[in-house]
Amino acid sequence: MRTGIALAVMSLVLLFVWERVDVVRVGYHIERLKSEKAALERERDELRVKLSGLTAPDRIARVAMGQLGMVRPRQGQVILVKVPAQTPDPTGPASMVLGLAKFASTKRSH
Amino acid sequence: MSQAKPYRGRSVVVAFVLVLGFGAVLSRLIDLQILQAAKLGEKAEQQHHKAAVVEGRRGGIYDRQGRILAMNMEVPSVYGVPTSVEHPGRVARDLTRVLPVRADEIERKLRQKRNFVWIARKLDPERGRRVESLSLRGIGTVIEGRRFYPKRPLLSHVLGFTGLDGHGLEGIERRYESTLRGHSRRVILQRDALGRTVFPKGLSELGPHSGNDISLTIDEVIQYVAEKELLDAVNTSGAKGGVVIVMEPTSGEVLAMAVNPRFDPNAVRSLSADSWRNRAVTDAYEPGSTLKIVIAAAALEEKLMTPSSMVFAENGRMLVANTVIHDHEKSGWLTFADVIRRSSNIGAVKIATRLGEERVHRYLRAFGFGERTEIDLPGETAGLVKSPEAWGERTLASIAIGQGIGVTAVQLATAVSAVANGGWLMKPYLVSAIRDQQGRLIAQVSPQVRRRPITAETARVLSKILESVVREGTGRRAAVPSYRVAGKTGTAQKYDLEANAYSSTRFVASFVGYVPARDPRLTIVVVIDEPQGEAWGGVVAAPVFRRVAEQVLPYLGISTHAPVELALVTTG
Repeated sequence: MRTGIALAVMSLVLLFVWERVDVVRVGYHIERLKSEKAALERERDELRVKLSGLTAPDRIARVAMGQLGMVRPRQGQVILVKVPAQTPDPTGPASMVLGLAKFASTKRSH
Repeated sequence: MSQAKPYRGRSVVVAFVLVLGFGAVLSRLIDLQILQAAKLGEKAEQQHHKAAVVEGRRGGIYDRQGRILAMNMEVPSVYGVPTSVEHPGRVARDLTRVLPVRADEIERKLRQKRNFVWIARKLDPERGRRVESLSLRGIGTVIEGRRFYPKRPLLSHVLGFTGLDGHGLEGIERRYESTLRGHSRRVILQRDALGRTVFPKGLSELGPHSGNDISLTIDEVIQYVAEKELLDAVNTSGAKGGVVIVMEPTSGEVLAMAVNPRFDPNAVRSLSADSWRNRAVTDAYEPGSTLKIVIAAAALEEKLMTPSSMVFAENGRMLVANTVIHDHEKSGWLTFADVIRRSSNIGAVKIATRLGEERVHRYLRAFGFGERTEIDLPGETAGLVKSPEAWGERTLASIAIGQGIGVTAVQLATAVSAVANGGWLMKPYLVSAIRDQQGRLIAQVSPQVRRRPITAETARVLSKILESVVREGTGRRAAVPSYRVAGKTGTAQKYDLEANAYSSTRFVASFVGYVPARDPRLTIVVVIDEPQGEAWGGVVAAPVFRRVAEQVLPYLGISTHAPVELALVTTG
């Protein structure tokens, strides 16, 4: 009986000690994960800022015209065609089908 | 028996030693745990617990398509602990290769008798990594929040900027400071013997509240088009600056607000307050003939005129209160529509005279002049519309031709949008939605009607007249092929304060209009300040309207009214 009680008390003590040690261990683990998360978030933000800068309209226009030799479409080269099945979004860009029309008389520009 | 005595003696000695030992331990225990408990407990608390203030992240600003316009990034700042640096000169030389700070300046800081000095703050992350890789004793990095505007000068006057402390100082950053700002929170961290954080004390103290994200009505692409075309026009005409506003007339949503000269909100410390003032809302100017739209609307609404009513234009010259008013084109009898189409000053003065001071003033106020539009930007001016009691003999005639009155570009955009949308004066706005960091919608802004200055019928009749201004009047250069455009040109003399008279060399050229005229989707206001050479609104500002419209209309998928003959159509 006494041995049983002693063992139970000992088990409780060991359980308490184990629980405390485990809390500390999990605490370290959480802190490590938090640091990793913060580093990844910083990297994500860095990449988002970089992406945002690279996709800025003035840069795209500069690269398209300066490096890739693209030109603005001339009058009549871009025509929007109404497609009744589509519901135009009053705010979104190019909600209608953007059609590239080639006229027999229009030469392609290079 | 004789052998038991020494054994007992030893037992007594051992027992004595044990009692003494345990007694000493017990007394020390009582001393530490009871007598010094409070003092030592406090000391342990100080050593194991670290209080830290964690800043909440500032919310981002996005355009209507979710593209980033402003966001916070955590970046490294480099500090030094001079008492721990053994060779300040050598450390300074190593650091100057990585940091944008001179070696002698770093060395001077490191030779100070202090425990902490900033060496460089809010650096690019790459520089921070390079400093860390040097592993210099007494040099460390900490993370701080820094505001980034990745599109640089794009939309700078609307976005504004933040100070070093992260508080909004101008534009949306200032107006929505309480929405964007993250809330800092004091956190107690438990540390072990090595100083590592073990676990936050209490789960409720895990982290600070981040600020909310803001979605604007602005479209980055339309903004780019507006800024580019404005910049080209300002450079070509040698103007001081200018403003272009693109607005959705039925809702009051501002799609673009371009102000020139521009500035980069990432580097404002070297600039003056004058360069970041948003002139579209803070500066009132005399609108010139664009104000004839209001005079015409009033005359039609009051049924004083119809498009075919005749007005005598005095062959281009008329005396009003000892002042001669000229028309740039001499005319005799004109129809009411011709007065607007040809922008006859004399015709406008005669119409305004028939309306009378009270009615002209009432319609100016009804169209929103002389009061703030309440657009969500700081520093908006109400402009200048005096009450009729303060008008002089010439005031009515001056106002009829858009002089002697101060309006802002945003007021003009709102007023003309009322003609475009069938008579409703809308409240212009820039912020369409506010979301928390998890993307949950907190607030959504809906279009708001302020009042209705004119009926739909008046708007329809006036719209037809304004179409003819672009088709065959002073605004021909604003015409966009295959689209119906309605609009009005304006050229106003600037008031010379030194000469106390209107200048004959300094003008404000403007054009205001909407497209497509029968189903308006865009109201565009163009104001060019002090163009050199030919300074007419129809010459300088109208082409900007056309170039902006012809790029934005296809972008928004707004089809033409004209039938097209297609040889081949490819999609996708």
